[in-house]
Amino acid sequence: MLRLAALLLLLGTAYVITSVGGNDTHSALLAFGFALIAAALAGDLFERIRLPRITGYLLFGMICGPDVLALISTPMARELRLVNGLAIALIAFIAGLELNYRRLRPRLASLLRLGSVLLAVMYLLLFAAAWAAWPWLPFLPDVDGLTRVVLAALLATLVVSFSPTVTIAVIADVRARGPYSETVLALVVLADLALIVMFTLSMQFVRWALGEVPAGDVSLLVRLSWEIAGSLAFGAVLGALFAFYLQHVGREVTLALLALCVVLSEVGRVLHFEPLLAALAAGLVVENIAPPRGDALKDAVERGALPVLVVFFAAAGASLHLEALRTIGLLALAVAAVRLVTIRIGNLAGTRLAGIGMDPQIASLAWMGLVSQAGVTLGLTIIVRSEFPGWGERVGTLMVALIALHEFIGPILFKNALARTGEIGKMGE
Amino acid sequence: MNTGFDDSREIGGRDPLDARLTPPPSEPTPSDTWLRRVLRRLRMSAAFGLAPVLAPALVFVPLGALFGPQGLNLLSTRVLQHLDPVISLSLATLGVFVGLALGRRPSWNPRLFVAASIESGVTILVVSSALVFLVRAWDMPLAMPLAALALILGVSASASSATHDATPGSPDALAARIADLDDVLPIVVGALAIAAVGRPGLTSILWPAIATLGVGLAAGVIGWLLIERAHSDAERGIFVVGALALVAGGSAYLSLSPLLAGLAAGMFWNWSPGRCDTIVREDLGKFQHPVVVLMLLSAGALLEYSVMALWLFAPFVVFRLAGKLTGGWLASKLTPTLASADLSSHLLAPGLLGIAFALNAYQYLHSAEGIAALTAVVVGTLASEGVAFAVAPGEADA
Repeated sequence: MLRLAALLLLLGTAYVITSVGGNDTHSALLAFGFALIAAALAGDLFERIRLPRITGYLLFGMICGPDVLALISTPMARELRLVNGLAIALIAFIAGLELNYRRLRPRLASLLRLGSVLLAVMYLLLFAAAWAAWPWLPFLPDVDGLTRVVLAALLATLVVSFSPTVTIAVIADVRARGPYSETVLALVVLADLALIVMFTLSMQFVRWALGEVPAGDVSLLVRLSWEIAGSLAFGAVLGALFAFYLQHVGREVTLALLALCVVLSEVGRVLHFEPLLAALAAGLVVENIAPPRGDALKDAVERGALPVLVVFFAAAGASLHLEALRTIGLLALAVAAVRLVTIRIGNLAGTRLAGIGMDPQIASLAWMGLVSQAGVTLGLTIIVRSEFPGWGERVGTLMVALIALHEFIGPILFKNALARTGEIGKMGE
Repeated sequence: MNTGFDDSREIGGRDPLDARLTPPPSEPTPSDTWLRRVLRRLRMSAAFGLAPVLAPALVFVPLGALFGPQGLNLLSTRVLQHLDPVISLSLATLGVFVGLALGRRPSWNPRLFVAASIESGVTILVVSSALVFLVRAWDMPLAMPLAALALILGVSASASSATHDATPGSPDALAARIADLDDVLPIVVGALAIAAVGRPGLTSILWPAIATLGVGLAAGVIGWLLIERAHSDAERGIFVVGALALVAGGSAYLSLSPLLAGLAAGMFWNWSPGRCDTIVREDLGKFQHPVVVLMLLSAGALLEYSVMALWLFAPFVVFRLAGKLTGGWLASKLTPTLASADLSSHLLAPGLLGIAFALNAYQYLHSAEGIAALTAVVVGTLASEGVAFAVAPGEADA
């Protein structure tokens, strides 16, 4: 009851302040405070009905966002997105800290087998489905031959992609630790790495097929190599510097960590590096080369990152394009259903081939952690949309609708799987 | 390097991650690296009085200047714009701690509060009047009301820090308590001064001040309803940070003073039933350190040296000293257990609130006067720290 009173007072205060009118350039903090408290209350409500808190944060953002109640106005939602760069770097850094080579080594071979089979099966099935259904899809229905093949391949790459962001956020939110969460996280990260490579190749083929670049032009491949190898190297160097700082100075670590995340996201962006990859590499280096005392850093960062995660997902909810769901909702539902089927089939095939070294329960439940889509998918979609105005924008609308669906379904399934494996609440034990 | 500020009220305890990752500075471990051993040795030296105990402003402001646009440009103008919400957040944090420092009713001593307000009021009056007189005499061209500029500098000069842990009831403890309480009046006057810029008439100045208190109280009530009833430490932390962001964000959005809004919220938590004040003090203490350090780094990075700043700096330091000595003398008349010299020497160290006031004014005055006032206050604060270090009682005396 008191929580309800607090929520009503919060809504009233936010309404009064925003209706008085103020300085939009100073709205970030107001939006942050409002979103933080209200989304946390929504997350608590969802936890009571055994749903993931993240779904609550997203739903709160969606309801209070510009498309529905507009308590978070468009300028406020834009200001909130400033948190995104920092949040993505922080989330990826935490993901890197979760991937300990020594702990993963006993099941690394089977994990790679499972991942490759799952990815191959998903990709081939989705490619076949896209190719077969192409004339009925609202992109370039009249194309045929090689062009249809490469466009279907590009669409399959986008639809297959996963979300390391949501995966790590769910793990941090329910404080899960154990082989299942580690396996899913490693699968998602490795698969997305492979998908980024496949995406760049697909884009190059699409450009060739559409005659936008002459055959033999490898500029995109060079850019890809720079983005992937450069991001990993950049992150690794910064991770090593951070580890050195931790070991030799160890003062003002919060500020040093914030500075690391800012450099990873902002400087990385200027140099055309992928912040997610760079931050992941930084976390991997800190965890595997110069780990601080036990899990202290990991636990402390995960606890400290919680407010950032809450606001990140509330902002994501506020930025969801509901009109995309309205215009292309049925098609998105159909594609989501097909994707879910391919994940299950890929998981079944991968489980059979994973062999010794992989706990059968973990292997069989892996699919439940792979449904979410968010940042990586959106990033790839934006590239398609900006490079191919017209049909690229329609692909973008479909993908945004898919992300909206998967952002809600994914965390529910993943939390359910974590509960089944008994890993919830094991972090810090 | 001992910065000597780990337990200061203004900058909080140790950084939360430092505290989890490394043992306290006084506890050496076999795994210490050479660099840590050097740093530890410096800390030990400081503890024995062989090295100066530095105020936080003396460490982080020069670092900010080094990293800022005039230096290495790591804290570029764009980064500083992104740090603006952090400045509001740190101002609100400082305001909350001033509110919490007022103490609960049983320990509330109106006589001390009046003495502290007289002391800070006299300093504001001395510095502001002197600046009005001097700026007029120098015929300095200004694009903003002279009274507002003088008041901003006067308010920034009136802050004192109290960091000595003294025996309760001793004269030192009383002096430290006065230094705690003397921040309230400047926060209120500073908020009115900020409201006065660009707003003609008394009513149009009072309404923003009332709105600021309203924002602080509303956030205070929301925090009070949630904080004590949180289901976990993590959730409690979210509510504390959320309430603080609401205090800072609401007031910044309305171009008001986060310091005053924070003071209102802190006072509400202090005097409301339950343990809200204790919880907020504990949780905010972990969060306080990094945001206040960022505020100091930003202040250092924003410095721009100009003739106007130089002209404002010298009277700021000199008349602050005069104001503190006069104010301390007057306040000691109300506190018979304190000799005026003792009290004044405790009030000389400016701490961080002066910089906070100047930053708050700068947030809404992106003019030559605003930047000159900020530079004069920040450099003047560093100089005043030097004066305080030379004059203030040492640890052995305290």
